[in-house]
Amino acid sequence: MEHATTGARILIPLWSVIIVAVILFARKKDLFIRRIQGLSAIDEAVGRATETGRPMICTTGLGIDGGVEIVTLQALSIVSYIIRTSARFATRAIVPVFDPQMLAITEEAVRESYAQEGRPEQYNSDDVRFLTNRQFAYAASVAGIIAREKAAATFLFGYYYAEALIMAENGHQVGAIQIAGTPATTQIPFFIAACDYVIIGDEYYAASAYLSREPTQLGSIVGQDIVKGFILILALVGSAIVSVSAFAGSATGTLFTQFFTK
Amino acid sequence: MLEPVKGGLWYAYVLGSLILVAALLAVLSLLPRRAKRYIVMTVTLLGGLFYALEFFLPTHPMMVGDDPNADGNFLTPFIVPMANVLPAISACAVGLGVINLFQLHGKRALKRNADSINSIAFFVSCIGMAAVWIASKQPQASPLSKALGKILFEGALQNLDATMFSIIAFYITSAAYRAFRVRSMEATLLLATAIIVMLGQITIGQLLTAWIPPRYDFLHVEVIRNWILTKINAPATRAIAIGLGIGSLAVGLRIWLGLERGSYFDE
Repeated sequence: MEHATTGARILIPLWSVIIVAVILFARKKDLFIRRIQGLSAIDEAVGRATETGRPMICTTGLGIDGGVEIVTLQALSIVSYIIRTSARFATRAIVPVFDPQMLAITEEAVRESYAQEGRPEQYNSDDVRFLTNRQFAYAASVAGIIAREKAAATFLFGYYYAEALIMAENGHQVGAIQIAGTPATTQIPFFIAACDYVIIGDEYYAASAYLSREPTQLGSIVGQDIVKGFILILALVGSAIVSVSAFAGSATGTLFTQFFTK
Repeated sequence: MLEPVKGGLWYAYVLGSLILVAALLAVLSLLPRRAKRYIVMTVTLLGGLFYALEFFLPTHPMMVGDDPNADGNFLTPFIVPMANVLPAISACAVGLGVINLFQLHGKRALKRNADSINSIAFFVSCIGMAAVWIASKQPQASPLSKALGKILFEGALQNLDATMFSIIAFYITSAAYRAFRVRSMEATLLLATAIIVMLGQITIGQLLTAWIPPRYDFLHVEVIRNWILTKINAPATRAIAIGLGIGSLAVGLRIWLGLERGSYFDE
């Protein structure tokens, strides 16, 4: 079993308090976050699908360990926004599901998205479909749906492995406008090569805040930025301490490192 | 209570659990939406609290499972029983997934259009695979069912997986061709970096700069490649990972403390 180091015992609760404090602050005051091009392009992609009369494919990825995870729930949150947008124009959205545990949650989220836009009749249970929980069988199935339905837009959000490129290249081959976002750093280059817009790094977790403009989520993003600033200062100070103590032959650098590792 | 049970008690536990779950579901379905929301929030808070406390509380050497030299605290022995709940949920979810597939493909097969053949293929392969696999795992399984199970799993399924995986090589080529086209300053930089990294990776590339004397070894292509990977690529990847970690912490806190909005969280 892994347990917290001394540094983690102090810093993680401290960062948590900062994030929660900013969330509570954001409920009273408007906060600003910068423009994220990939997310602004979602409306453009939905518009393209509406104009062409072809469906959109929205996937929520494979997840890290499978099951209900934060990464996949975040992807579902973005997909919910896409479906709310598409519902206004009666554009069809197909949501292939990889993990059976996510099926009921995805069905509920998609149904609720249509209901929120006052179009509950647009919900088609066949469009939220569990395919398989085998990696390459899922990739083949999604690629097949993209090709058969001649998707006008594909939205690839969530955690992906080697199958990322199979889906993205098939989307490119049918001329779909493609927007991808993943926390999987190994797959980001493949998405950048094959997709029109890619959301990288913590933009992925900022997406739902950016799209919804909901104060709680905006506060969360600003809180994250403050914590990142804190980490940046810590990294600079730590580098200086370790370098100077190594030069001077002091044990301070070792003690500083041990604070994070033991 | 957390130890496995056998014999008649096992049946009593299973029956009792089924009755309990049925009663619980009946009560839950009668509750108003606001009450359901509070139940979801409370269960989430307690579940998160358990894992957070287990992770943060001080540890001491103790016996955990079969490991006598592990570190843990008073909550650590409950980690495995808690984790055992997940496969049970997962098994139920797989059932739901299969029902979804049968509904979808059942409708399509009955429509009798051009796509119906795919849905019929689904039923044949799903039922066929399940039947053969169950038969091959029986204690008195015949050599035929064992051979069929092996052919379907190792001969067909695994090779189909491998085929899909190997297709990636062609997709990488076509994606790389588009990414490396010299259209802008960034694309040119990407192309130059990619050439150096690729040459540094292969023997023939390393031979190109092997003639450079050792005192100028920083000009060797494999040294430049290493410098790019360790001094540029790795810090950038770590920076992204730090941002992702903080993002994940923030989303986790929002869900854990019931601050999240949207499906399951709004009234």
